[in-house]
Amino acid sequence: MEKVSVLFFPDNLIAHVEPGTSLLRAATLAGVELKSNCGGDGTCGRCLVKVKDGRVNVKSTGSISQRAKQAGLVLACQSTVNDNVVIDIPKDSRLDEHQVLLEEKDILMERDEDLAAGYDFKPLCRKVKLTLSEPSLTENVSDLNRLQAALRNEMECGDIHIGLHTLRGLADTLRTGDWRVTVTVTQLNGCADIVHLEPGHAEKPSYGLAIDIGTTTVVVYLLDLESGMTLGKKGTYNKQARYGDDVITRMIHASDDSGLNDLHLAVVNTINQLIDELLSQSHVSEDDVHIAVVAGNTTMTHLFLGLTPKYIRLEPYIPLASVTPPVKAEELGLKINPSAYVACFPSVASYVGGDIVSGTLITNMAKAEEIVLFIDIGTNGEMVLGNQDWLVSVSCSAGPAFEGGGITFGMRAMKGAIEYVRIDSETFEVEVSTIGKSRAMGICGSGLIDCLAKFRDVGIIDRAGKLQTDINTPRMREGDDGWEFVLVWGDVTECGKDIIITENDIKNLLRAKGAVYAGIRSMLKAVQLEEEMIDKVLIAGGFGNYINIRDAITIGLFPDLPPEKYVFIGNSSVKGARLALLSQDAYREAQELGKKMTYLELSVGNDFMDEFVSALFLPHTDMSLFPSVVANNDQKGE
Amino acid sequence: MAFNAVKEKYRSKVGEVVLGATKEQGGTRAYTITVGGEAALPFLHFEGDIPNRPVVALEIWDVEPTDWNDCFKPFYADVWNDPAAWAKKCVEEFGADLIVLRFKGADPDIKDASPEDCAKVVKDVLAAVGCPLVVIGCGKPEKDNLVLPLVAETAAGENLLLGVAEQDNYKSLTAACMVHKHNIIAQSPIDINICKQLNILITDMNLPANRIVIDPTIAALGYGVEYGYSIMERARNGALQGDNMLGMPMIGNVGFEVWRTKEANASAADFPAWGEQETRGILWEATTAMALLQAGIDVVVMRHPKAATLIKQNIEELMVKTSFDE
Repeated sequence: MEKVSVLFFPDNLIAHVEPGTSLLRAATLAGVELKSNCGGDGTCGRCLVKVKDGRVNVKSTGSISQRAKQAGLVLACQSTVNDNVVIDIPKDSRLDEHQVLLEEKDILMERDEDLAAGYDFKPLCRKVKLTLSEPSLTENVSDLNRLQAALRNEMECGDIHIGLHTLRGLADTLRTGDWRVTVTVTQLNGCADIVHLEPGHAEKPSYGLAIDIGTTTVVVYLLDLESGMTLGKKGTYNKQARYGDDVITRMIHASDDSGLNDLHLAVVNTINQLIDELLSQSHVSEDDVHIAVVAGNTTMTHLFLGLTPKYIRLEPYIPLASVTPPVKAEELGLKINPSAYVACFPSVASYVGGDIVSGTLITNMAKAEEIVLFIDIGTNGEMVLGNQDWLVSVSCSAGPAFEGGGITFGMRAMKGAIEYVRIDSETFEVEVSTIGKSRAMGICGSGLIDCLAKFRDVGIIDRAGKLQTDINTPRMREGDDGWEFVLVWGDVTECGKDIIITENDIKNLLRAKGAVYAGIRSMLKAVQLEEEMIDKVLIAGGFGNYINIRDAITIGLFPDLPPEKYVFIGNSSVKGARLALLSQDAYREAQELGKKMTYLELSVGNDFMDEFVSALFLPHTDMSLFPSVVANNDQKGE
Repeated sequence: MAFNAVKEKYRSKVGEVVLGATKEQGGTRAYTITVGGEAALPFLHFEGDIPNRPVVALEIWDVEPTDWNDCFKPFYADVWNDPAAWAKKCVEEFGADLIVLRFKGADPDIKDASPEDCAKVVKDVLAAVGCPLVVIGCGKPEKDNLVLPLVAETAAGENLLLGVAEQDNYKSLTAACMVHKHNIIAQSPIDINICKQLNILITDMNLPANRIVIDPTIAALGYGVEYGYSIMERARNGALQGDNMLGMPMIGNVGFEVWRTKEANASAADFPAWGEQETRGILWEATTAMALLQAGIDVVVMRHPKAATLIKQNIEELMVKTSFDE
């Protein structure tokens, strides 16, 4: 059948597709990124587009509002093309540049901790300059033996491996350099592997990448492995997002081979794009990057390596592999030196992945005497508790609410997202501050937490999260989905619509915060510890950085501990990967950590469920767990 | 060797709620009733003090209950046009400890009685009987929010038990109970967490915990009495373990639930094997109540006078102190 063309405005990008293709797919092919939290199921209502010219077949209008329908908007995922069409993409359907966690001091409340403490600088990969003795009729061992002997003199290593591809060039390289040669050696778990040879003594150092693959975002650091310096950091959203917001939707998409390939390519492309930017910015050639260390959750690691995550989703939740062997970059299509090793952090269980192992490594909690609680809140909430003697981990499905999923005006932390709110307790007038100080488009995780705390504070909601419809302000009104509160009036928002929070949004947030807190409680219960016995709480994650601790305690997301016990550590996953890249000991330690951590499956038994429902309240139905919140309320009451 | 009873140690006890107020206390009741206060699981006298026996209330309506089974006619037909006379009969002839007045007639779909009408009925009933009074709305929040505050105002000082407050509608009733000094029924839909949440929400509005009676929602025998039982049991265990927000006495509308069932109402002609209808209905009601007594119910709201008598008897037997410390 003849292909039809789909032209997208305002980008002026065109896709030629088979008739019957969805607009969402066409947009992807044209290179336009649309929001699609549900992965094309027609349920999230985010991929709204306008048909400017031509006709589309609309399978379903999902839950889009009457107003949107009248404005001629359709769901891109539910509309297929039969003929040439012209499509207009509204601004708020577009996946914008993402504010990814990149350790910028001014926006983070991160404390400057020496996170690499205790590990010697021994990068996983480095260049060794060798001068070999020239062979003669009497000194006639092979070129390779000669090289290996010289290398052993220079560095401590057991077996020395060399790939066939590298070996083929050995003889000429040695002679071209007049027996002076630069060897790039990778050392993973003790044995040395020669991955690259250069004639003469090279000036350029070896480079490495630390990569964090999150469900939502991907971050790459470029490192000079000679000096240990971080040359650049780049982050962007994971291109897999177009196949769904959460891991479950993606696992479903990946259950057949072509779907798996889609997701594999999407994440590799995401990383390659970041590598491209980093390399050109630092003027490094891709051939000089000889190693990459990757930390990601179990599903992300599977998808990155092209392993099927199908059985992770199904009871009894079994991953294909928790420890994966290092592979060569060319096998994955990563745009660095083809013979470079790519090593992934091991996972603990299906829902506690390499990103958590990496975080645990950087927190040094496995060497601490004090009891540390490490919380990583991304699309899922994962936690590790313990010290040098023991470590337990859990994962709870907090859901994507803190990242904007399932919230009417929820959005990721990008430009225009409301971060903080101030609400007058008399007039209920609202002041908001947004990321980038631009016009408000939606609300991100920290803004949502702040809203919940402030709403409770001034009495817009009660402790059960119910909107108090009797308060006297036009901001409280009945909308399409029941009662809602207007945060920002439409005349000053980017999208022109009123930014509201509905009762349903609040319920979703309560569930998300309830899950995290219930996870903490369940874990404490399992090891029979009280909250007060936690000496330090380390918070990581893409949204963790912007949270106001007081707010988070007020709504019962985190335990009621003194604020000074809390430390933000930013993106711990990529930092752990960087540490492993710079220290063989740290890399080994990470392998050990993967085996050492005890995983608690929360779906076994009733404890978690009991804790969860008790936590669906502000802050909790057991007020004795939140003495400072009670004290604060009492003070206000007086 | 002497027998040693193994005793459970409870960390706390159920709070006491006083219903009604005598003249000295600012009301007009002949006596007050105290419910709650249990320091052990139901009727385990040897483990802890059970200071107040569960009480039996009879339910009356403000309108003629046309859909009630005919078997109620011999008892109530002469009085059910007059709530005051009905209440009097329940107390004097049928021995009710207290009266539950349900404002079915306020329901906009039934009689749409005005708040003023309802307030007058309350006044009349209070004048007719000396026992403490429980007043329950029609169940439609918009209407109840008009009726109950006026009832509270009219009966200020009488220390009524007013209901029901629900998670989605507790504010106006709580406020009314605060201002006019009444007790409140906090009703939750067979959900221990909502039960607790509602108690917190109400106490958050500064109504003291000792003015709350929990209605965790119950069902009739054969219709899920075990769920009601289980929730009551959980609430009571929570209370005894020190959870103040579950430490309130409990009330259950046994008669209301039982007399909706087919088993209580179907005639013997239709189901010969089931036996005579009235006896069956009475036993159905009494059995449901007995089960709930074992779960910790404090105020049993009955409908059939004979079932009420059976339950009073049962309570008396259960209140005989057992002791192993000879």
